[in-house]
This record gives sequence, structure tokens and C-alpha cells, in this order.
Amino acid sequence: MSRAQALSPPCPSTASVSLSRRLSAYWTESCYELVSVFRQLDFSLPTLLFPAMFYLFFGVLFGKGSGMSSYLLATYGAFGVIGTALFGFGVGTAVARESGELRLKQVTPMPAGAFLVSKIIAALVFSCIVLIELFLLAATLGGVRFEAHQWLGLAAVLLLGTLPFSAFGLAIGTHVSGKGAPAVVNLFYLPMAFLSGLWIPITMLPEVMQKLAFALPPFHLSQLALGVIQLDSGYPWPIHVAVLAAVTFICLGIAARGYRRR
Amino acid sequence: MSEPAIPEHEHRPKALRWAGLSIVGIPTLLLTMTLLMPTPEITAEASQESAETNSDSTSFAVVNARVFDGERTHPKATVWVENGHIQAMGPDLELPDDLERVDGSGHTLMPGLLDAHVHTWGSSRADAVRFGVTTVLDQFTSPTELQKARKHRDGTGDAGLADLFSAGYLATVDGGHGTQFGMPVPQVASPEAADAWVKARKEEGSDWIKIVVEPGWGQSLPTLDPPTIAALIDAAHRQGLKAVVHASLLDDALRVAELGADGLVHVWRDREIDDAELETLKRSGIFVVPTLVVVEGMVDPEPSMALAEGPLGSSLSAPQRASLERRFPPSTKLDWAVPTQSVRRLAEAGVPILAGSDAPNPSTAFGFSLHRELQLLTENGLSPEQALRAATSLAADHFGVPKRGRIAEGQLADLVLVAGDPTADITATQRIRKVWKSGRPVKLAAEQQAAPEIATAPAPDDTLLADFDNGLSSRSGQAWMKTTDDRMGGKSVVDLQVVDGALRITGELLQGAMFPWAGAMTFLGPNPSVAVDFSARKELSFRARGDGRSYSVMLFSGDMQGIPPSLTFESSDDWTRITLPLKGFRGAEPAKLRAVSFAATGQLGGFRFEIDDVEIR
Repeated sequence: MSRAQALSPPCPSTASVSLSRRLSAYWTESCYELVSVFRQLDFSLPTLLFPAMFYLFFGVLFGKGSGMSSYLLATYGAFGVIGTALFGFGVGTAVARESGELRLKQVTPMPAGAFLVSKIIAALVFSCIVLIELFLLAATLGGVRFEAHQWLGLAAVLLLGTLPFSAFGLAIGTHVSGKGAPAVVNLFYLPMAFLSGLWIPITMLPEVMQKLAFALPPFHLSQLALGVIQLDSGYPWPIHVAVLAAVTFICLGIAARGYRRR
Repeated sequence: MSEPAIPEHEHRPKALRWAGLSIVGIPTLLLTMTLLMPTPEITAEASQESAETNSDSTSFAVVNARVFDGERTHPKATVWVENGHIQAMGPDLELPDDLERVDGSGHTLMPGLLDAHVHTWGSSRADAVRFGVTTVLDQFTSPTELQKARKHRDGTGDAGLADLFSAGYLATVDGGHGTQFGMPVPQVASPEAADAWVKARKEEGSDWIKIVVEPGWGQSLPTLDPPTIAALIDAAHRQGLKAVVHASLLDDALRVAELGADGLVHVWRDREIDDAELETLKRSGIFVVPTLVVVEGMVDPEPSMALAEGPLGSSLSAPQRASLERRFPPSTKLDWAVPTQSVRRLAEAGVPILAGSDAPNPSTAFGFSLHRELQLLTENGLSPEQALRAATSLAADHFGVPKRGRIAEGQLADLVLVAGDPTADITATQRIRKVWKSGRPVKLAAEQQAAPEIATAPAPDDTLLADFDNGLSSRSGQAWMKTTDDRMGGKSVVDLQVVDGALRITGELLQGAMFPWAGAMTFLGPNPSVAVDFSARKELSFRARGDGRSYSVMLFSGDMQGIPPSLTFESSDDWTRITLPLKGFRGAEPAKLRAVSFAATGQLGGFRFEIDDVEIR
């Protein structure tokens, strides 16, 4: 079979491609995606360093001995993973769409899902790095002590939290231009982070704002993370999961519309 | 059918290899790290301790002992423990050659005891287990305590702690019995609210429901009305939970028995029971936890104090001694014959009786007081064997506690080895030689911290402690700092700010600790370990204003053990000078004052108040 055939649209029926081939395509695409985001230093440095820097200031230097170091570890963890997901998807998709890269990928035999999966993998790897930094800071300078299952649970909850915000980023990225994307993402990211109590504990915000936070997705991820270390506000956890699941579906819907509209 | 030829990357860029490595390596690194991250020191100590006691071999056998299995006595039997559970029990067991053997000649092996009425608090679970009480059935505690304990109890439990089963919050009304401790209690307003209330308890992890019917002792207290009580009992049963009742009047006890309550967690103490009434109780199938020992403490605490002089005394910790030495107010006009006679009648009639202490009420101590209760039960109609059943199999059966209260195959290896024969002489339970919790040996001696000698500084000439004109520092040189219920498992938060030369304290009391608090404190001496002699001073005076709720002032003195004495003040929008006599802080030692705190306590929610010009004059 010739190479031209393989590349010609429409894609060869996926059923005819062996599983190992497809996995290999997913794998290759993920590796490339990771290399490409790492090389975008204006993206990778802030996402990798800001959460740890903020945590160092607010959680460790100001908050030491007050119990804040534990609380803020969970919330800056949420801040970090939300950032990697929103920027990776929001900006990444917008740029890929604008530059024609997305269209190019669609006409290759690459499985359609590989684009999304590679971005999710890259976001997860970035989230892992952010969490490693935060955990190290917390355990060494912050004096934070949890049970092993709590450390593990915190990492697991936060990594899973990448998913709804990837969908959120995708919804943005399918609607805005590559140039405008960073600004639009920040427009959602920073206010939501503050109002959800990711920077300073939600209980220190005025009551009206505490109520408002319930409408913001990051609040629910942070509550799930805080739940692991028993510092949450006491809502039943299924509420938070339900809200995040709803956010995921709604954003995927919005993203699908934007994608088709193109 | 041939596969489409996707070109192979024969010369992958180096960066790609790194990317591949990162995708696998970085998450693995995170996973590995989470497993190696530092954990709280308590666990570190516990694991160290269990390492000392060789916990990885929770397999052994006790041979040649008399065995009380929870129901009956075997003159000589072997009990084989494997991995924290009982593998087998019998007169002639074939044991593996390499199994460790404990010689029990002259001793009696019993199941770990169950105390059917406690209120868990602080070190209670560690304190109880040293007295052979390996499971506590708690009749009112914060759900946070319970949830912590629940995590481990289905396995082989927490190392060195008694397992906790609990009602969680109790059912009472606003201002009724159970609300006086400052711990917020969700209330049941009407029969219609019963279902939701029980459901909420069930979701919090309550193992059964406790209902308070208490019109007051002498004084009059609001209490639940009969329709609500009936609705609660029904709701509990519909949701598969038992319902037990606190009632101190016989009429209330009879009423709830007829409504189908499963148990009474005290014996009534107002009048003697007649034959018809006894018949009613018996027919209802209700069980009774008389808690004679706490009632005895109201009449005559001496027998318990004498017991502390005996062999059990050496295992008492400081908090246990503290609760043992506390006293009920002396006003109670109580006829000791009523509760004791009632137990005798109940026993004769065959109503199931369970052993419970109501620790840590005044003149009782966790674990310790169950031994006095066993004595009291045998003095009032129970045989020693019946008393032992009351603290083992009967308690486990009636409260539905699995794998405890018996020595039999598959049960947890919660075991107590005592010198002598408690089935003949109940006081033998006081001669504890060994306790195993889930097969792990328990250290019997209490950790006695020698009271450190406290350095004392003379009081400064200036009576002013702080005027907040120069930020958060006190005249003593110590800063004002945050104090919250954090170390009691609480979640309350607080923030301190100096605004216009006054200290503004804002925050929120959140559910978590049994007694939530948050506020500001400062040490009085030049450094935190030095006390200051304020014995020549009369009062603590300060200016305050706030949001209208009341706040507590606490004085810490001496070795700072136990709950510090406190006084409350009301706040209002306007600055008010508040003066509290030092004598009013009962139990404080003015000659050895260490610290003072201003805090919000009790009611949950946000708070805001300011203080200024704090003086000890």
C-alpha cells in the first residue's frame, strides 16, 4: 500500500488499523505535544513556576505554623493543575486551529482522538511536575505532614481535576483566536482562582463571596482536594463531583459547537 | 487486508526520547514521592512502638489459662491467635511448633472488655485500652472523632487504641441536656424532622441513635416531646439503626420501652419500680446500661478513689486522674438505694444488663471505671460471670458490634489476661497482667510526664499588657498570635490585625473539633516557658467591641494541663471596658500565669471583635 493512499482523506477506516499501530500513533503524538509545550518557554515556565512561587510566599513564608501550609497546599495544587489544563487546551487549541495545524492533523491518518489525548497527557505531565514542586516545598519548608494515603489522595484528586478544566480550556480554545487566547484564558483563570479561595482560604472571604464561590468550578475541585486532608467546608463530596462532571459536559458541548462552526 | 503503512520514525529526535521518558517517569516520580512523604509524628511514634513490641508477629497462643469466652468459662484451654484474629480456642489444640506461647497458668483470659457508655474525648481511646477496655460504645461525641476511628476499626484497628463505636450526635432540643457542653448539636424540632435527622446521623457514620429524655434534675430543662421521641425511634428502626435512650425518670423509661426503644443507657434514679412496671420493661425486650459507677460518684466518690490506690492506679494517665478527681456539684438529693435496688430487680427479672461507666464524667475515668462498675453490678444482683457477660458478649450483641466480645474463631484478638479467677471474684479483673488489642500487646503503664518545674518571673510594674499602639507585640515582648481548635482536629480559622491601635480578631468557627474555638493569645512571660507571678493583682481589664456575640477569655497557668478556666463577655458595637476578677477564673493559679487568650467559642459561624488596652491590675 502506498504512502499516498494512507495519507489521502478520508482516513482509512480505523477498524483496519491494528491496536498497536493506533497506540503507537497516540504515543508519538503525545511525545511531540510534550516536546512542543516544553519548548514554548513563555507557556511552560509560568505554568510550572507560578503555583510553587505563590505557595512559597503565601503558604510557607506567611502561613507557617498556622495550619495554612496544609490548606494552601491543596488550593495552590488546584491552582496549578487548573492552569496547566486551561493554558494547554485553551491557548494550545486556539493556536493549532489558527495556524492550520489542526486541519493538517485531520488529514493525516492519525486517529482523531490523538490530538485530545496528547494534550491531556501533556497537561497531566505538567500537573505532575507542579505537584512534585508543591509537595517538596510543603514537606520541607512548610512542615506539612499528612498520612501516606492523604498525599496519594491529594495527588490523585488534583490530577483527575485536570479533566474538567481541560474541557473548559477546549471550550475557550475553539472559540478565540491564537493571539487572544492567553488573555481570555487569564480572564477566566485568575478571577475564578481568587474567588474560589485558591489563593487565600475561602473562609477568609466575605460571606457573599463565599456563597458566590459555589458557582465557580475551581471551588469544587479545591473542596474535593481539601476533603482529602479534612479541611473542606463540609459539603457532601458528590455535589462537587457532580458540578465538575456537569462543567465537563457543558464545556465539551460548547467546544463541539465551536469546532463545527469553524 | 493489509495495514496502512505509517512511516516508522527510524531516527527519532533526542527530545522525543526525553518526552517519552517524562510521560512515564514524571508520574512515577510523583507516585513514589507520595509514598515517601513525611507523615504525622503520631503515626511515626505508633509504628515505632509497635516495632518495639514486635507487632509483625501478632500470632501467638495463650496456653494453660482459664478462659472466659464471653459466655461461659473453660477451666483450662488454649487460645491461638493468628494475624490479629483468633484462629482457634479449645482444650487440646495442636499448635505449630514455632508459635510463640504465653503461659497463662493461674490466670484467666477474657475477651477485651466493652464499655457501653462513654463520651470519647482527647486521649480516651488510649487510656481505656490500658484497662482492658478494647472497645468503647460511645453515646455522644463529635462525628469527626467517629469518622477517624471508623476508618480503621474494620481491619485490626488503630495500634494501641480502643475501637470506637458511637451514636455520634445525640437527639435533644435547643437548650436541653446535651447542649450544655458548648459543642453544637443538630436538633430535632418536630416529629416530621425525625427521619431527616436520623438519616443525617447515619450518613455521618452513627452506629445507632441516642435520644435524650431529660426534664432536668431539680431544675427544669426543655426536652423532646413523646411524639418526636416515637418518631425518632421509628425512623431509626426503619433505617436499620438501634435507638437507645437517656432517661433518668422511671416514667420516661417505661414510656420509651413501650415505644420500642432498644436500650436505656442509664438506670432511672427517681423511684423504685413495681412488679407491673417491671413486667412492662421485661416484655418490651429493652436492655439497660445502668452506669451505677457515675451515679455512685454523685453520692460517694470514695470507693473509686480507693480503687485508684490499688493495682489499677499505676495505669492512670494525668487526664484520667483529672476526671477521677473532679466532682459533681454537691446539691444532688439522690437516694442511692433506688438505682442499686432497680438493678437488682432488673437482674432478677432477666432484663439484659450491660456494663457502662459514662466516663469521663466527674469521679470516673476511661477504662478504669468499668472495673468499679463490674464490682457494683456483682454487689447488686449479678453473678461475677453475669457481670463479665455484661461487659463482653451481651454488650457486643445488643449494640450490634461485630467480631468483639467473645473468644471464638474469627473474632478479633482483643484479649485481657488477669491474675486469679474473675468468674469467682470480680475484683480479679483489676489485676491485669496483659492486654492485646487485635493481637498486639498494649503497654500497661501510663506515660507519666513528670510535672516540669515552672520558672516564675515577678510581675512587671506596668499593669498594661498591650495597647496595640505598636502592632501585635505585648509589653512582655511576646507577640499576640492566633489560637484555634486546629490541634483538636478543628477547622476554625482566625485572622489578627491591628487597626487604629486596637487588635481586630476575625474568623469563623467551623464544625470539626468537639469544642470549636478561634481567637488570639499571648504569653505573659519573657518567653513561653516562664510563668509570671500576678498573685498581687486583682483583675483582668480590657476594652472590647464586636458583633454582639459573646466571647471567652481563658487564663492559662501552671503546667497548662487540662481545660483552662474561662469567663465570657458580651460584645456590642460600642467600646466597653470589661473587668474580670482573677478569682473568677476558677482553677487558675494567679501566681503562675502563663498566657491569656481571647476567643470565640461555641456557636459556629463568622465572628468579629476587637480588644484594646489589656491590663492585669
